Amino acid sequence: MKILRNIFAASALLVAATASAQSGQPFIHDPSTLAECDGKWYTFGTGGGGIITDDGWNWHSGAERPGGGAAPDMIKIGDRYLCIYGATGGGLGGGHAGRILTMWNKTLDPKSPDFKWSEGVEVCYSDGMEDQDAIDPGALLDPTTGRLWVSYGTYFGTIRLIELDPATGFRKSGNKEKDIAIDCEASDLIYRDGWYYLLGTHGTCCDGVNSTYNIVVGRSKSPEGPYIDNVGRDMYHGGGKMVIAAGDRKTGAGHFGRTIIDEGVEVMSFHWEADFDMGGRSTLAVRPLLWKNGWPVGGDQLKEGTYEIESERRGYALELAVDFVRMNVARAGGFGGFGGGQQANAAPPQPVAEQKLEDVISTWPSGNIPARIGDYMFRPHQKWTITAVPEAGGYLSNPYFKITIAGTDRALAATEDVEVTTVPSYTGAPEQLWRIEQLTDGTFRIMPKQIPGKEGINTKYVLYSAGDSTPTLAEYDFNSDNSKWNFRQH
Amino acid sequence: MKHLIAVLLMGVPLALTAQNPVIRNQFTADPTARVFNNKVYLYPSHDIKPPVGQRQDWFCMEDYHVFSSENLTDWTDHGMIVTQNKVPWVRPNSYSMWAPDCVYRNGKYYFYFPSSPNAGGGFAVGVAIADRPEGPFIPEPEPIKGINGIDPCVLLASDGNAYIFWGNGRCAKLKDNMKELADDNPKSTVKFGNREMEMVGVNCLEGLPNRQAEGPFAFEYNGNYYLTYPYVRQNTEVLGYAMSKNPMGPYEYKGLIMAEHANGCWTNHHSIINYKGQWYLFYHHNDFSPSDDKRRSVCIDKLTFNADGTIQEVKPTMRGVGINKATEKIEIDRYSEASSDVKTELIDTINTFRSYQAALPKKGSWLRYNDIDFNCINNDAYMIISVKAAGNTSFAIREKSATGKVLAKITLDNIVPPETPNAPAGGMGGGMMGRFRRDMRGQWLTQTAALDYVPKGVTDLVITNEGDAEIAVDYVLFKNRPKYFSPSTAAPIAPDAEGFIHRWLLLEPINKPNSGNTVFTDSYLREHFNREYFKGQQTILPKDGQKVQAVFKQEQAPAGFGRGMGAQQAPAQPEVKTVKQTLTWHALDSENMNVKLFRFAEKWGEQVYGVLFWAVTIIDCPEEIKDVRLAVGSNSASMWWLNGEETLLLSGDRRMVKDDAMSSRITLKKGRNVLRGAIINGPGMSDFCVRFLDEKGNPVTNYSIINNK
Repeated sequence: MKILRNIFAASALLVAATASAQSGQPFIHDPSTLAECDGKWYTFGTGGGGIITDDGWNWHSGAERPGGGAAPDMIKIGDRYLCIYGATGGGLGGGHAGRILTMWNKTLDPKSPDFKWSEGVEVCYSDGMEDQDAIDPGALLDPTTGRLWVSYGTYFGTIRLIELDPATGFRKSGNKEKDIAIDCEASDLIYRDGWYYLLGTHGTCCDGVNSTYNIVVGRSKSPEGPYIDNVGRDMYHGGGKMVIAAGDRKTGAGHFGRTIIDEGVEVMSFHWEADFDMGGRSTLAVRPLLWKNGWPVGGDQLKEGTYEIESERRGYALELAVDFVRMNVARAGGFGGFGGGQQANAAPPQPVAEQKLEDVISTWPSGNIPARIGDYMFRPHQKWTITAVPEAGGYLSNPYFKITIAGTDRALAATEDVEVTTVPSYTGAPEQLWRIEQLTDGTFRIMPKQIPGKEGINTKYVLYSAGDSTPTLAEYDFNSDNSKWNFRQH
Repeated sequence: MKHLIAVLLMGVPLALTAQNPVIRNQFTADPTARVFNNKVYLYPSHDIKPPVGQRQDWFCMEDYHVFSSENLTDWTDHGMIVTQNKVPWVRPNSYSMWAPDCVYRNGKYYFYFPSSPNAGGGFAVGVAIADRPEGPFIPEPEPIKGINGIDPCVLLASDGNAYIFWGNGRCAKLKDNMKELADDNPKSTVKFGNREMEMVGVNCLEGLPNRQAEGPFAFEYNGNYYLTYPYVRQNTEVLGYAMSKNPMGPYEYKGLIMAEHANGCWTNHHSIINYKGQWYLFYHHNDFSPSDDKRRSVCIDKLTFNADGTIQEVKPTMRGVGINKATEKIEIDRYSEASSDVKTELIDTINTFRSYQAALPKKGSWLRYNDIDFNCINNDAYMIISVKAAGNTSFAIREKSATGKVLAKITLDNIVPPETPNAPAGGMGGGMMGRFRRDMRGQWLTQTAALDYVPKGVTDLVITNEGDAEIAVDYVLFKNRPKYFSPSTAAPIAPDAEGFIHRWLLLEPINKPNSGNTVFTDSYLREHFNREYFKGQQTILPKDGQKVQAVFKQEQAPAGFGRGMGAQQAPAQPEVKTVKQTLTWHALDSENMNVKLFRFAEKWGEQVYGVLFWAVTIIDCPEEIKDVRLAVGSNSASMWWLNGEETLLLSGDRRMVKDDAMSSRITLKKGRNVLRGAIINGPGMSDFCVRFLDEKGNPVTNYSIINNK
């Protein structure tokens, strides 16, 4: 019985955790930037292996990487994957003498006949005496020049930049290392819109729930720096602007990696030193990555709850196409409450009760009710409850959600004619499951898992404002506010 | 545009440091070395692995690179100078850009090269002309008329003529334009089967040992002309030579310059130069392609003449020539001499350019590497050696001989993993370390060691195996440590342009074991910073060299520093000991804005982690400065007092971040102000930075920092 109870406890724990963290077995430390191979996502950690997800949400072990060592990064160059990792260093295994090596593979799938890692080639080292620690590499293939940059290092000295030959993975001939930051580790480089960003991890790792690890950023117009933070401070002097730190019952964000899913849809991968809902273990996190005024900002995991779904187009709210039911509340204090001076002796104003579901539900049809967009009046037909459906799987950053009218089982659904409606009861059908992703500007796109009559998982059609008042499904376009929505609680 | 690209390529020379072979990132063969402008230029042919569609077991050369050096150890690759498909007369994709030569005459550099012509019929020799030895070279549209063969060599003789040698020893005079054979060359008609062919010039090797002779290299020295050439004595090529009083002979055979390659490498091809008074033989050998002798690499060894003008036979060495700077990556496996049990082999038989390793199988095995220049090394230097071991063992680096003075002795006791990998191994985060302990047998390790003894001048190094397991070595190099501090100068100094104070009186660290930075809470810091460790702690104006007696209570922290899996937590009631330390104040000017206490502790302290530092600086203000803030970043926590008043506390797990914490508004009084700090450190690299900022956040710089002499 005791064993059985433990199993129940464990599964309850997983269910509780799925809404706010990657599900399955996302246990990893120092994850590499997510790499896609044949529709699966891979990340590799310290030690020998890594974890895999088929859908972006449920992770399992099984990724393989030889060489051991610590904190790899993975980057796809052409049709090959370049793994770059530290062998020893980081004060591990006895000191700060470290080596960074690269190796190639045509595939990340250990079951593929093409799965074969090339022999590791050293690209830089630290000798253990210098202010330098060759570990924790992060790679950037510069999209503007095709040059391959790698930052590496820890608190033991500087963060350094080197250049590799993207054709071979070897150190570029004649390249001299350059110091670009101090007082951080687990760095990574990214490029966006004319700026190079250096992400570094501050704080303390490897201290469980007390780990203060957090990810900060500076930016530069050149990959070689200087990387300056939001108050003009060089990362070489310890500068850095926060991207993500502890929160949501998790501490110790470290080892940033950026993944671009679609235009305006980006996620960052990193680890939590301790997830309080996972026994304090170190887990993978995949969170939306937002951009505000040219700075990367960590988005939050979408929380279950009841929201207005507000269109970015007009600011109207997604609602059921039902009769607007007026509230019969007497207007106090004359015309709409004006002219207070004449009512000086009246009783103090009393709160007005909101319209309740039971006040109006009987006026609603019983079958499918189309969706509409209208003025938000915080009425029951405008309040949507977002609930994770972990058993339906997910995508990078979230599980699928059902979207139901608060207090009911009436669920938003995609239709065969590529429109949206609501069905009286949620059945778990794939057209009633929604992929909700926060976009880089902070708005959201809302995407049905499947459209009846269309093959496979939908990755194209989103909930869309055809008009100010008319929702539909249409192809996602980041450059149109018709594709964008906000979840508001007010 | 094409022209521009070529120039850009040449603008990014690649530096190589080398023993034999001298070029270590590509194949090079048939080396012609020439001295131009007091530098050695090397014009080899460029073996490559044959592309698909080419004969895989044959020579394959599509272009030429030129290399230069001033010391014969550092070689700069100036990049490609001539390539087959950019020469009008060369048959496209014939991959036959064989042995070249280059000479300087009348203000121009003439590069001679053989290849397979469009017209067919064996080999022709063309010329490309440049204004500089590294190019750009412009090829002539047609090959030289009258030459049918390979391996050109041009002799600029003291008679004022230029002679070109090629093929199996044929020689003809060149016109002054260096692009045509002279009209007055002897001619003869030779029958090839039923075809008659006119041959220009003379065959200088007629009647001499000349079986399969090729690659002639002619030079003039002490009134003699030397014609040196590879030929087959038995089964593979040797380098032989003949002498004459005339450039075009007759020549008299004199003997060998180099015998057959011991490993059966079929070809050899060479050149001879005098550089800075020493004669050198350039030749090739297939070091980086032992199973395929069509991919070769250039080597150099010294060459000596006898008094009668004859040449002593040269034995090929791995060490080669030149003096290595101690700060270069020295391929010590290319040793000068070794005990008979030492073996060398390629590190990686596929990526052969990773070069060689030398294995020292047992205690007493040794190797010696000659001529390393330590003039660039100071007394604070350390050594880096790339080594692998078959088990836990030790080895030494000595000077001159296997019993010479020890520079460093290195003990490898982490090669074999402990039997219980999760057992705390002591030191920082033992449990964590245990997780990363791997079997290091046969793994390349970069080992560093401070030097017990620093040799002077140019000397030889010897590696001796002093343990019970085989070791193999790859390279060694020496590094000078960066300068973190210099003694404070007598004159007052200003803060730097950003206001940072570089001048400090630092007290050697007090041993302060702790279980990591997270224990540095406000109350811990107030209690521990306000304790008395030595008399006058809050009032002393120390002088350089002044000693203090520290006597204090010391809470014993566990061996591990808390961080890491399996590390012990600090006990609730740690054992307390009374500790005495004699500590010295040092007046130092920091090289960096951040004062590297870690390096200070490394040099002057008993330990670098779990330490407490006291720092004092004396500021002299010409006028009162109001409403400034003290701005500090420190690793880890710190506390600061200005003129005896507590001014700032940085608590918790801190890093050295510029302007991490600020004091409230304070006043720097006119005259002397004393700023005192205490910095405590857990397991990190301790340092701090301090400056004053004004109301607008601008650095305060209008004061000086004095040396308390």
